[in-house]
Parts: sequence; structure tokens; C-alpha cells
Amino acid sequence: MAQTRGEVLQGTLDLIVLKTLEALGPLHGYGIAVRIQQVSADLLKLNQGTLYPALLRLEQRGWISSKWGVSDNNRKAKYYSLTRSGRKQLLAETESWERMAALMTRLLGRAEGA
Amino acid sequence: MEWLRIFVSRFLGLLRKRKLESDLDSELRSHIEALTEENIRRGMSREEARFAARREFGGVEQTKESYRDQRGLPFFETLAQDLRYAVRMLVKSPGFTAVTLLTLALGIGANTALFSLVNSVLLGNLPVRNPQELVVIKYTDSRSQQANEDFSYPMYQAIRDKNTLFANVLTRSGLDFNASYGGQSERAVGEMVSGNYFETLGVQPFLGRLIGPEDDRTPGAHSVAVLSYGYWQRRFGSDPGLVGKDIVLNNNPIRVIGITPPGFYGTELARNPDIRVPMMMATVFRPVPANRLQSSRHRWLTVLARRKPEVTLAQAQASLDILYHQVLSAELQELGSTVNAHDKERALASRIQLEPGNQGFAHLRGEMERPLLLMFSVTGIVLLVACANLANLLLARNAKRKQEISVRLAIGAGRGRLVRQWLTESLLLSVLGGCAGIVVAYWAKTALLGFLPANFSANLHAPMDLRVLGFALIASLVTGLLFGLAPAMQLSQTGVSLALRDDSPSIASGERLFSLRSALIFLQVALSLPLLIGAGLFLHSLRNLRGVNTGFVKENVFLATLNPSMNGYPQERIKSLYDDLLARVRTLPGVRAASLTTGSAISGSWDQEGVKVEGYQPGPDENMSPNAAVISPGYFATMGIPFVEGRDFTEQDTSVRPKVAIINETMAHYFFGSKEALGKKIGTNDDPKVPPDMEIIAVVKDAKYVHLSEAPRRHFYVPMAQEPRLFDMTLQVRTVDDPEKIGDLVRAQVHDLDANLPLYATTTLEIQIDDSLTQERLLTWLSSLFGLLATMLASLGLSGVVAFSVARRTREIGIRMALGAQPGDILRNVVSHMALLVIAGMAVGLAAAYGLSRLLGSMLFEVGSADPLAYAGACLLLGVIAALAAYLPAQRATQVDPVVALRYE
Repeated sequence: MAQTRGEVLQGTLDLIVLKTLEALGPLHGYGIAVRIQQVSADLLKLNQGTLYPALLRLEQRGWISSKWGVSDNNRKAKYYSLTRSGRKQLLAETESWERMAALMTRLLGRAEGA
Repeated sequence: MEWLRIFVSRFLGLLRKRKLESDLDSELRSHIEALTEENIRRGMSREEARFAARREFGGVEQTKESYRDQRGLPFFETLAQDLRYAVRMLVKSPGFTAVTLLTLALGIGANTALFSLVNSVLLGNLPVRNPQELVVIKYTDSRSQQANEDFSYPMYQAIRDKNTLFANVLTRSGLDFNASYGGQSERAVGEMVSGNYFETLGVQPFLGRLIGPEDDRTPGAHSVAVLSYGYWQRRFGSDPGLVGKDIVLNNNPIRVIGITPPGFYGTELARNPDIRVPMMMATVFRPVPANRLQSSRHRWLTVLARRKPEVTLAQAQASLDILYHQVLSAELQELGSTVNAHDKERALASRIQLEPGNQGFAHLRGEMERPLLLMFSVTGIVLLVACANLANLLLARNAKRKQEISVRLAIGAGRGRLVRQWLTESLLLSVLGGCAGIVVAYWAKTALLGFLPANFSANLHAPMDLRVLGFALIASLVTGLLFGLAPAMQLSQTGVSLALRDDSPSIASGERLFSLRSALIFLQVALSLPLLIGAGLFLHSLRNLRGVNTGFVKENVFLATLNPSMNGYPQERIKSLYDDLLARVRTLPGVRAASLTTGSAISGSWDQEGVKVEGYQPGPDENMSPNAAVISPGYFATMGIPFVEGRDFTEQDTSVRPKVAIINETMAHYFFGSKEALGKKIGTNDDPKVPPDMEIIAVVKDAKYVHLSEAPRRHFYVPMAQEPRLFDMTLQVRTVDDPEKIGDLVRAQVHDLDANLPLYATTTLEIQIDDSLTQERLLTWLSSLFGLLATMLASLGLSGVVAFSVARRTREIGIRMALGAQPGDILRNVVSHMALLVIAGMAVGLAAAYGLSRLLGSMLFEVGSADPLAYAGACLLLGVIAALAAYLPAQRATQVDPVVALRYE
């Protein structure tokens, strides 16, 4: 189904953002959006605007922090970086995601086999 | 804790809105600019690049909106928005707002005031440690099933020392003192308490120390007292040096050892003793009978126990009952043949009954429970009527706001959102009304307490505590929901297209609205009528009480009480003091007659004394204790009680002369039937071997003695001079004119005779009788006030509905008139629907009133619960008010000019 490809589950977007910040260090919203698009190629179709409420939500939970700075091309930009509790959260979520993925794979694999 | 962090950050988001908004703006702008530049790098034209960037980013405004929802607290922001809007709407229609707030303030205020009384009288606990562990010990008479709470001192000792399930058992007994300090004496309310009283209650001293077990060992040997905080403040100006000093109580120097904390009133609400002395001092302060602390026959103590925490009430009761019967059998054994078998059997059949003691001895509660709950329900009904009225007002306003609603719906407002906003409006109104109501309640509560007899109100504060304020808040919110919900729901059903069409007040569109409003009118009438009928019943009852034939002449009698025995005087001195006082008062100018009595009429207190009657054999459980009074010669002349036959006591009926008595007609008839009573003998000595020794020298007419509502009582009088012991007596002085004027002269005479003798309870007979009707008067006034208030609200609502329907039907009426309808037809047409509603409401109200008025039963005097006068009067009053309320606006319909009406709109 073509439509499901573009949809991003809320928890998933959080995980992606956290992972991106872990991999690349402090980054502004545009940077995060570009990175997500690069990594996912065309698999993930994301309205870049939806990133911002997600960033705010992560910040409210204390997983990321933000600071105003100047971007490469001399523009004022807000830089987001991972906090300690964000790292912990990333670890926990990665683990649970992998468990879930493994489970789904097994389930679907068996279903196909039958 | 995460939710807290999120809440704080969201809350801060609310506060720094402007700064955050510009931050968000620049963050998003720089994102889009970066995207645009990237696109230009890829070779798009500037215009194309910007467009593509926008597309990739998605809706900027949507992003901002969902960002804002995430940032702030949307619930509160919407609330603030709704509140702002609601305030604007209220300010825009000041008339509506004022009427609504006034209605709510009165309704919620009346309820809150009553609740503050209910709260302190019915719900309040004693201000002591763990009050829920306390139990009141009572016993039930097997035959009458009446609970009795008086115990003898030996029984108290047995309960205290031999029980196993109580942590502690205290006892107390009330008495009054003649207290002197610094050359000034007055009467003070006092209490004798057991040594473990304060320990059991868990009360700490405010100053000094409190009475302990070491102060209660030897009869008559502990001259110490503890004062209440209020008395110490009032009488001694909060002098901390008083502790350790002596005050004089009944002529005995007593050392003040401490002050109880403020707020502590003892074991009974609204009886707040000023002075407490150890129980062992009973031999000094209540010397008669001398064996008070040893006799098992004198039951004069009330007992309160603290249960061990793990013990239930039922366990304690079962165990105590066994102990009680053991002690009782031993006592009866000891008394031997002085008690007959019948009485023994009856005593042994009584049962211990424990009651929760968290409120202490709840006498006041028993007395006020029914009237309080009744008035509380009445105010509740008034509030309901007010709700119905306000709902009607809001419905009328909705009709005017239909267009606004349709526009809002048309541009996309959700119905839920609209309902929410409308509810916010009515809740804002009700909370504002509730705040005003708290002010009204405070004022009304103070006024209500002012109505109560002074000895209640002085000690009953009914504070506006958190519970009362919480009640006011909840009442406000419930009220707001009640009157706001129906209009809000109705509004949300408004169709977009229907109302957007030229808003013609067609008859059809009015129908639905009309029926909801009719139901509310019906409800208001049905609720108001029972209130009016209740008021009518009380009014009728009060009139009956006022019209009671008292049997004496109540005008122009001055009353004052004195008690020289408190000063420890010997009987001869007391007697001569009373005689001297009478002689002096009789010579005062303006005095017609003066006398002394132990039984002041309609004062609420009385004495009974067991009698034996010559030639009369009583049945086994027959009540042989008529009311009794000790009087001086001239009593009947002072009171204006006529003689049926015989003579008054005279100065010659002294202690050395044959004993005499006077009885009333009821007593004569009870014991002697149609036979002659004069010359027969009665006796009060309880030794069966002593024959009756008082000769009946007169029969007087019956009178009312204790309450105006009492049935005829047997009553006898004995002369002061032949009474071995005199205590307090009431002086009654019949004057030529205003009896209050004689007060100062009498006081001067008493002071002249003995400066240490306080004169108390000074009043007039008329005022004393009036005071005895306090509760009846209060019930009558309150129920009339609330009944009228509800009726006025209902008729305002009715009036509004008629006016509204006339306004909506102007065109229709115009057409009818153009076709030849007469004003009378129009009037009938407009009003007939209302008349039906009112009649239906009254029918339901009548039925409800008939069902409910049975509950009033014992509160009414010589008025049946189906009293035709009250029912007819209430119906008539409501009918007339409703007719007026409907007629005045309907009148306008008949003045419609057809030409104008048809052009209207």
C-alpha cells in the first residue's frame, strides 16, 4: 500500500531524531530534516514542518536541549543536542524497537511459511 | 515526575508566549530559507525554489498551530479564551448579569449559610484528640425504650475501674457558680470533671496545668479550678498572672491552676463552661445530698469513654452490659427491701447502649437536627427553582444569539466546542454568584445565629471553614451545570441553514424551545407551592401557639433569679433574705404584687416531685410525679391565676404550723375525680411508712408551665416557709406599666441587701414566652422568606416566558387582530397555555406537599398536615402572583397594532 510508506509513527519519529542527533552531534532542524531524507532516501516522506512539534516534545521531556547559534552559512539557527537522559532513552527505545522488529519478523516469517 | 517537568515547561510556555512565538517564527523562516537556497543550488529559479521549499516543508501555519498546542496548555488557553469571551458577553448585558448574579448569590448564599450550621452542629467533631474513639455511655429503659445517660458516682467508678475495653472513662456534671473576683460577682457556667477528664480527651493546657487525677482524690480537699480561654479573656482581660491566684466560687477561695486552649469547649457543643473544678469538690459545691459521691441512687453524671483503638463499639457494648448488670445486682442486693420487686425487675431489664462520642453529648444536635435539615432542604429547593429560572433566562438569550451561533457553525466551529464555551459562560456566572453567595452566607449566618437564644449563639460559631467554602464551590459548579447544560445542548442543535435564513420568528421554530421552557415553568411552580404550603403550616402553628390560653396574665411581669444558697449561707439567712427582699420590693413605686417561685413560667425548666395521695392507690408503673413549685404567698395574685376554691398561702403558714399544699384542677381531677379535694392530704416523703402530711387548702385553675404547647399537667404548689431547703428562686414583680423600668430598682434593693448576690436571668414574662417560641418563629420566618423567594423567582420566569412568546408572535397576533379577533380572545390565547402549566404544576405541588408535610408532624402545634387554611392560602397566593405575572406581559399582546405588527421585521 503506497500510503503507509509515507506515514511516520510518532514514536518512530522520536527515535529517528534521537538517533540522528547521536550520530551527528548538535544539529539544527533543517540539518535533521536533510539527514533523515538522505538516510531514508525516498522511503520516508516527511512534511518537514512536523519535525518541530516533535523536537519541542523531546525537549519538554528533557531528552534533547536546544541553543541558539550560527549556521554554516551565517544564519541564526537553533541547535539541538542529545542530553544524558536522551542517550538513555535512545538506548531503551532502540532495544525495544529491535525486540519488536525481531518479533514481527518471526511472526510474519512463520505466517509466510505456513 | 516526568509529567511534572512537562507541565512546568508547558506552563512556562504559556507565560513567555511572545518571545517563544518570535523564536519559532525565525526558526521556521530560516529552515525554509535554507531549503530555498538548496533548491536554487539545484538549479531552480528563485520563484520555483521558494515554492518547492514551501511544499516540502508543509503548511507553516499548521506547523505553528500544532507546535503551539505542544508548547502551551491548550485546555487552559481555550479556557482563558472562553472566559474572556464570557466576560465580554456578561459586561455587554449588565441587566441580565445583575439579575443572574443576584439570584445566584441569594440561592447559593442561603444554602451555604445553612450548611455552615449543619457543618458545625451535625458534622463537627469535638476539638480533642482522635474524637472517633470516644463513646457516650447510656442505658435504655426496657419498657419505655428511652435512652438515659445519667449514672451514679459508684456506677461510674465501677465502669472506670473494672472494664477492660476502654482506655479511659471520664465523667462530668454541669453546675453554675457565683464567681467573685476583685469585688465583683457574677454567675458563671461551670462543670465538675473527673481527674482523668483532660487526659481522656487529650487536651493540653494553654497556660499553667489542667486538672489531673492527683486533683481528684479526697472529697472536698481540692480547691483548684481551670478556666476556659474565653472566660479568662472576657472576665480577666487575658491576665497571665491570674494562674496561681485565688478566685471566689460560692464563697470558697479556689486556686486557678490553668487555662484551657482556645477552641476547646468541653464535651458538648454550645455549652461552654467557664470554670471547671474536680469532681471531688461536689461535696463543697453541691452539698445536698451529702452522700452524693457514695449513693448509688443519685444518678447525676454523664459518662464518656475512650475506646481502645482495636475495640469495636459492639464489643465494648456487650462487655460493658455484663459489668453494668453485675454492679446493678450488687446494688439492689444492698438496698434490700427498700426497693420493691417490680422496680428491681425493671432496673435489671435496662441495657447498656453505647453511641459514637465523636461529637460528645449531642443534645443540641438532637434538638436542631430536624429543623436544620428541613431548612437546608428548603434552601436546596429554592436553589433548584433559581436554576430553572436561570435556565429559562439563558434559553431566552439563546434565541437572541441564534444568528451568532449559526455564523460560528458555518465557519467551522465544532458543536462540542460551542457547548464547552456556553458552559464556560454559565460556570463563570455561577462561580461569580457563588463568591457573592459566600458574602451573603456570612451575613445570613450571623443573622441566623442572632435569632437563636443567646446561650446557643454565644458558643456556636459555625465558622466559614474549608468545608463550608468547599461546599459553596461545589454548589456553584453544580448550579452552573444545572442551569447551563440544557440551554447549551439546545443551542448546539441549532441548524446552520435554518438560522442563517432571514431570522423570522415563525411560530414553528418556536415550538421546541417553547416546550423546554414550559417544562421549566411547570417545575418551578411545582417546587414553589410546597414551600409556600410549608410556610403556611408553620404560620398557622405559630398563630395557634401565640393564641394559647396560658392561664395567667403575661403582661407587665418583671422576672429575675437569684441564688443565695450558692454563697454557702445557712437556711435561716436564705429565708430571711428572701422575706426581706419580698417586703422591700412590694413597697417599690409602681409595684402591684410580688412573689417568689422555684418554677418560672415557660422558662423551659421545671421540677417534678413524686407524691402519694390520701385514698389513692397507684398502679405499678403509674407516673406519680406531678410538676411542683415552691412559692411565696401572693404567687397567684402576681400571675393572675384564679382560684377555683380555697385560699392562698399566708404568712401564718409557717414551718411550725400544719403543712399545706395547693393543687391545680387537672391534679384534683386526676386523683379525686368529682369528689372534694379540699381537706385531703398529699405527701412527698418517699418513705412508704410516713403517711401523707400536707393538707390541700385550695384548687387553682390550670396554666401552662413549661411550654406553650404542653398538654394540661398535674401541678402542685407548696409554701416557701414550709420547705426545709431553699435554693435559687425567681422573683416575679407585677407592675402598673412597663415592667422593664422596675429592673434597676429591684437590682438596687438586692445589692443593698447583699452585695455578693448576683441577680441573673432578668427579663419579663412576655419576653420569656417569646423566647420559648424562638425555634417556631425562626422556622416560620425562614420558610415564609424562602417560600416567597421561590414564588417570586417562578413568577419572574413565567412573566419572562409570556413576554417572550408575545414578542415572537407579534406578527401572528397582528394577523389575528386584522381578521377580527377581540383583545379578550388574544389574551386568552396567549395566557391559556400558561394557565394550564401553572395548574398542572400546582396539582403536582399539592400532592408533593401533602406527602411531605407529614414529616413536619411534631413540629406543628394544633395544625393537621392537611390544614385546609395553609393549602388554600398557598394556592391562592401562588395563583394570584402567577396570574399577575402572566397578565402584565400578555396585556401587551392586546395592544398590538395590526398595521405595525404586519410591517414588523
